[in-house]
Amino acid sequence: MMLDVKNVSIAFRLSADRVTSLKEYALRAVTGKLRYKEFLALKDISFSVKKGETFGIIGKNGAGKSTLLKVVSGILKPTTGSVCANGSIVPMLELGAGFDMDLTGRENIYLNGAILGYEEAFLNSKYDEIVDFSELGQFIDEPIRNYSSGMMARLAFSIAAVVQPDILIVDEILGVGDSDFQKKSKDRMLELMGGGTTVLFVSHSIEQIQEMCSRVLWIDHGKVVMLGGAEKVCTAYLSNQ
Amino acid sequence: MVEKKTIQKAALYSILIFAIVAVFFYYAGGEQFKSRDVSTDDPVVATGGLPEITAGHIVKQPFTLDADNISQVKLTMATYDRVNTGVLIVSIRHGESILGSATVQLESIQDNTDLTVVFERPINITPGEELELCLESDGETGNAVTAYYGSEISLAKGSVEKPLSKEDLAQFDETPIDGILCFQVSGRESLVFGQFYWYGVAALFVLLVLYWLVVIKRLNRGKTSMSVLFIIAMKKYKFLIKQLVSRDFKAKYKRSVLGVMWSFLNPILMMTVQYIVFSTLFKSSIPNFSAYLFIGIVCFNFFSEATSMSLQSISGNAALITKVYIPKYIYPVSRVISSCINLLLSLIPLLGVLLITGNHISLRSLLTVFGLVCLVALALGIGMILASMMVFFRDTQFLWGVIITIWNFATPIFYPESIIPAQYMTVYKMNPLYHIVRFMRIVLMDGVSPDPKAYLFCILASFIPLALGILIFKKCQDRFALYV
Repeated sequence: MMLDVKNVSIAFRLSADRVTSLKEYALRAVTGKLRYKEFLALKDISFSVKKGETFGIIGKNGAGKSTLLKVVSGILKPTTGSVCANGSIVPMLELGAGFDMDLTGRENIYLNGAILGYEEAFLNSKYDEIVDFSELGQFIDEPIRNYSSGMMARLAFSIAAVVQPDILIVDEILGVGDSDFQKKSKDRMLELMGGGTTVLFVSHSIEQIQEMCSRVLWIDHGKVVMLGGAEKVCTAYLSNQ
Repeated sequence: MVEKKTIQKAALYSILIFAIVAVFFYYAGGEQFKSRDVSTDDPVVATGGLPEITAGHIVKQPFTLDADNISQVKLTMATYDRVNTGVLIVSIRHGESILGSATVQLESIQDNTDLTVVFERPINITPGEELELCLESDGETGNAVTAYYGSEISLAKGSVEKPLSKEDLAQFDETPIDGILCFQVSGRESLVFGQFYWYGVAALFVLLVLYWLVVIKRLNRGKTSMSVLFIIAMKKYKFLIKQLVSRDFKAKYKRSVLGVMWSFLNPILMMTVQYIVFSTLFKSSIPNFSAYLFIGIVCFNFFSEATSMSLQSISGNAALITKVYIPKYIYPVSRVISSCINLLLSLIPLLGVLLITGNHISLRSLLTVFGLVCLVALALGIGMILASMMVFFRDTQFLWGVIITIWNFATPIFYPESIIPAQYMTVYKMNPLYHIVRFMRIVLMDGVSPDPKAYLFCILASFIPLALGILIFKKCQDRFALYV
């Protein structure tokens, strides 16, 4: 078993009552108005993913898909329940996290790579591949504040796409940049997902889910609606809409 | 297994480093670890003079001293403004037996000044026993000296009556005088620490070896320990920390003309400004003021920079914290390490100032490393507390701006600690930075090791805040992603 999610619930304190200054806190603590409204973003979710499996998650906007991915990747800690992962996890949730505008493309490759958990030797060996894939050429030694948004997205994608994780978490298959690069990046992503790694895949495109996943989890309002074979769950999901 | 090899290497290194450090401390600690100076209270204010001390008369002054030997006595003498001939015999007695004595030529005694009598060989005593300081002379009337006495202690403002019991009073030929001699006896007390240093080192050494044996044995059975997890984490996140630190450093000096030179220039310029202000405007009386000031500035600058940077480390990296998983402690730790690089760079101009002002730098100066480690631990501890507070209360950053200014004035950076009234000294010494700055000054300016107590205070002053910081940070870190 690569990934085991057991009875995960997550509760947020609603921002209406969030206290952000000491004075306000003291005032409320004294007057006894320190109350919180709890909101359960995830309620008692359990599932497990086998090695090499591509596991899909579907649901409407606000169903809790992204929260679930954040819990699995360790960014959020579940209020109750546990997540057990055997191996390295690379979340492709946000590309270019931690980019520093004042640093050059080259420096950002190392910084962003380190943030994603790559090792130094790995980055050194993959450096040329990243630069080639991003098609940035000579601009790689320019500070990235001078980059266009397309160049930045290309660089970010190229760094993320060299991973060889045990578990890959994908939130929508991204196509970035111009149409040529979009095709190239989509192909690269499909290649990564088909390469035998364990994949956790979230998408709004039911066709993609049906095509790639063996099992699918359908969540709504933070609760599990259905868990089972891709065909069965997708049919139920479509007929529900 | 790679892990096992790493652990064995770490164990070997830690044992080796421990042995080197233990030997180094013994060498660097020197006399300071074995004994320390002790004296009786400061001399009283002279308010009267005894009759002439002539042949056949004897002055006795009872005292006690918690020391193992007595090396010298300070007395305030009068010569009636003339040159006398003969000798003065200063002796230390216990009951009837004379423990030791020294002879002073009367010609060498100056009128109305302190006379320091050094015994040829330190006089061994039992700590705390009741002793008498005796003065005798072979002078005759009109050709003799005498000693001053008094009963008041001088303070910064005026003087107060010293509480004296009947037994304390000086005697002239067995007749009690209305006061005590203006005297101070000094000696050295041998320290338990120095006597048992090697026993302590040996015990710790055995404990360390045993600890690693247990860790390795547990590892063989597939169990992890704190230190194993720590080493794995260090190995795993070394590269990330390196990248974050180099980003901080590059970002700080990017687009500035002088760049890294500012790390040298900043402390030098600050010291110059404060030096001019305090030495000319306020007429500071501290000897070697530039070195005194520079050590204070370098320590405080680091503390202020490291804590302010850590304060922002969680809230300023909100974009990262909500998007990628990185252990949260990496953020404050990387900020403190960035400040450490600045600290190391500012040590270079400090070394320059020390050499120019004539402080001799020896191998013993390496003891500053101990002070620096304590300083970094303190800054990290406070930084972690601030970083956690900042997530929940944004007011922290403004509060800290005020507190750091108060802290600056509460630390003896540009003034001598002697200006603090004695009754506030206990509160004043609660400031952890006080102990660390004091430690650094003793090592770098006096060129000796501080006494063992100073080490203990430094450890307490830095590792208690660090433990507290880690505890608070650990308790709050799971909620960072929700609030930041």
